[in-house]
Amino acid sequence: MDSTSALTRYVSEALSPFLERRDTGLHAPAFDAAIDPHDPAPRAILTHAHSDHAAAGHGEIWCTPETAGVYRRRNPEWTGTARLLSYGEAAEAAGITLRLVPAGHVLGSSQVLFTGGDRSLLFTGDFKLAIGRTAAPAESPRADVLITETTFGLPVFRFPDRRELERRLVEACQDAIARDLTPVALAYSFGKAQEVAAVLTEAEIPTVLHGAAWKLLPDFEAAGFRFPISRPYEQGPPAAGEALIAPPSCARSGMVRNLRRRRIVYCSGWALREASRADVDADVLLPMSDHADFTELLAHVARVGARRVLTMHGYAHDFARILSDRGVEAVPLPASSERPAPVEER
Amino acid sequence: MTAEHAAGGPEALPGSPGPGETPYALLAATLEQVAGERGKLAKIDRLARCLDSVADEDLSVAARLLSGAPFAEWEQSVTSVGWSTVARAASEVTGWDLETIGASTRAIGDLGEAVSLLLDPGAGGTLTVAEVDARLRALSGVRKAAGKIEAIAELLRLSSPVEGKYLLKTLSGGLRIGADVTTVEEAIARAFGADREAVARAHRDSGDIGETAAKAKRGALAEIEFRLFHPIGFMLASPIEHAEEVAEELALFAVEDKFDGIRAHAHKAGSHVALFSRTLDDVTVQFPEVAVGLALMPGSFLLDGEILAYRDGRPDSFFRLQRRLGRKAPAPDLIADFPVAFIAYDCLARNGRPLFEAPWTTRREALEAIAREGPLLLSAAGRADTPAALERYFDEARSRGNEGLMLKRLDSPYQAGKRGRAWRKFKKAIGTLDVVVTAVEQGNGKRAGMLSDYTFGVRDGERIVNIGKAYSGLTDEEIRRMGAHFRKITVARYGPVRSVSPDVVLEVAFDTIQKSNRHHSGYALRFPRIVRIRTDKTPAQATTLEEVEELYRSLHGDPGSGSRPE
Repeated sequence: MDSTSALTRYVSEALSPFLERRDTGLHAPAFDAAIDPHDPAPRAILTHAHSDHAAAGHGEIWCTPETAGVYRRRNPEWTGTARLLSYGEAAEAAGITLRLVPAGHVLGSSQVLFTGGDRSLLFTGDFKLAIGRTAAPAESPRADVLITETTFGLPVFRFPDRRELERRLVEACQDAIARDLTPVALAYSFGKAQEVAAVLTEAEIPTVLHGAAWKLLPDFEAAGFRFPISRPYEQGPPAAGEALIAPPSCARSGMVRNLRRRRIVYCSGWALREASRADVDADVLLPMSDHADFTELLAHVARVGARRVLTMHGYAHDFARILSDRGVEAVPLPASSERPAPVEER
Repeated sequence: MTAEHAAGGPEALPGSPGPGETPYALLAATLEQVAGERGKLAKIDRLARCLDSVADEDLSVAARLLSGAPFAEWEQSVTSVGWSTVARAASEVTGWDLETIGASTRAIGDLGEAVSLLLDPGAGGTLTVAEVDARLRALSGVRKAAGKIEAIAELLRLSSPVEGKYLLKTLSGGLRIGADVTTVEEAIARAFGADREAVARAHRDSGDIGETAAKAKRGALAEIEFRLFHPIGFMLASPIEHAEEVAEELALFAVEDKFDGIRAHAHKAGSHVALFSRTLDDVTVQFPEVAVGLALMPGSFLLDGEILAYRDGRPDSFFRLQRRLGRKAPAPDLIADFPVAFIAYDCLARNGRPLFEAPWTTRREALEAIAREGPLLLSAAGRADTPAALERYFDEARSRGNEGLMLKRLDSPYQAGKRGRAWRKFKKAIGTLDVVVTAVEQGNGKRAGMLSDYTFGVRDGERIVNIGKAYSGLTDEEIRRMGAHFRKITVARYGPVRSVSPDVVLEVAFDTIQKSNRHHSGYALRFPRIVRIRTDKTPAQATTLEEVEELYRSLHGDPGSGSRPE
């Protein structure tokens, strides 16, 4: 019990005065707003519009214009209000300043930087340092306290260079087309799907997008990205020379299975595991991730130069231990409420 | 790739492998490609091309390494080293602490793969196939843990990441690339224009895929003579549930009781006896009374039979046999309290002559001849002319304490390692499934804190798809023992649930099967209960989704076909 309460005190002290742990998750009292709460909240700061960070039904959301755009499109019935904060724009309350900082994760994704008095805290949300096509490159502002995601917080998770991965993606698709196979890129509908489409567009490979990914294209177009040789799956299955982009959950659906001659390219950080091949019937494993790999996590910690690091998501315990072994003060952020995770989640 | 080395001599191109210089990198790259191929033919093709490009001197070793077995089966040498030994070596070479190595292995799902991701990408490239062979042989002779760790660490220091991956997979007993030894047999046939069956036979008789490859290349498979004392695949039976299913063919079959024990092959020559289980493990030391009994028999032979709990001239329950399973060198009082016997039902070789290709009747004669020469328990073989007679036979078998009947075609050869229709097993209950545990979690109440709730699945190709969850029917002692094992093979944790690598096979009884989208298999079991732990089976021998579908159809009728088969 003692060590638990000592840890709780330590964490509260590190978060203060910017954040508190509440049943609903991390809460910024100065703004009376929760960060990425799982359940509908009166006011929520959203780091990005992936559904596990942006629950439906918040009263008010604070986020980048791009995040708000995707949030509205994914929740068409939503009636709340959005306070739009461009990268770098300050919001102030009770002597505390909040700024959204690019996170490099997906379109509109941000980290949250709090400053006040002589203290500062950076909450990374999901981020990557590798430079993709559709997300503003992450920044690493100095902060006293860093709350970092650790989805890939183990040294086995080191992804190849992003350009190399893009080259492999194009090559796998071109090679498939040359063999009269339909390339199928399995990529999450928001973020990865459009990354893949952007890379293939540049290589002049026309793409057919699953509806969930297609419907978000206007948000990408509003941000200046163009997809002139893409079309929705709704108009019919891919023809010769076209590549299909579908979410991994569709790996065993008719959409993919009906393609008699196909080559499945699994685009995910988890594709680093050979075992993922069987999960999605992949022919090609392409570890192209929107999360920081182990090296990037370490680099971000070093650049931010925090005195204290709190870790969350994925390998939080292991990454905190590894940091501690290297002389960086780090503890895993205790979960505020235990949520049973689904067993078969991918 | 062509066999350019055949020209040999100093004029051989730089980089083309000379005799004894085949780089291990060639094998590792091939295995990596095989893992990446989806189709069996493509896998065979990759293996065949690699075998074809290997120098004659290295071919035997290369064929063994490609099949994932560093030594010939007959050598009875074991390189398999424990997880912690490999992990310590990996820790020494990569500089990562054991905890990180452990977490990484669980995250990736395979130690070899995890370590390869931690090795220096620029390292390696000098190992030859011959050197790998020499080092693995040296390793198998090392007794002390520290020596093993150092030997493995040395091997890893010389390895590139992909070489390290496959060396560690070889050391931990499985390449897991979707290519089994039959695939390698087919690749040998393809590479050297040999007959597939002849290759399989040569491998079975020699117990050495390496010698088989070398002889196949010289067109000399016929030179291979049968050898005892290496594990050989078991011939398996297809299930039937009703006597009517074989009504037309009854005259072709011999009928025997189906025993509820564990299958074993008994090899015997002089006073040397070896017992191999269905998982092809040597279990001789677990059953000393069986080994001693057989050693006293005259002649040499290879018998197929069943080890079962046996008391007062009668089979006893499998639960009692379980007390003896997995115990090396059982204490005398355990042997006295839980006696076992070997009941022979087939003879695969006698006095140096293999009988695999001989019909069952001939093999039975050989078996009876052996039994006349010394004390050997034989399974009684009879006949049943009508379904009604077969049903009576079934009831009698049950009353003798056995679980059902075996039907064996009189004219059938012994098809090692194959499940065919020449043998049928007649079992009646709706049945049980052999399922693979995929996740475990702690129980409640009395069993709080114990990993007593198991989620399990059946095979769907290479995957395991979940079909149910059972609150253990095992004893507390068994749950604790299993719990310790499950902690070791945990690959991920989701709150209270541990996802485990597919390793433990359970026999699960149930009342009926229903369609359900609750589990990935699309089926759910009504009142599943664990009957026993099948330590004698590997996950590859678990029930398949197809079998579940068939069972479902037989229970509920096939809605697709419209009529119910009679």
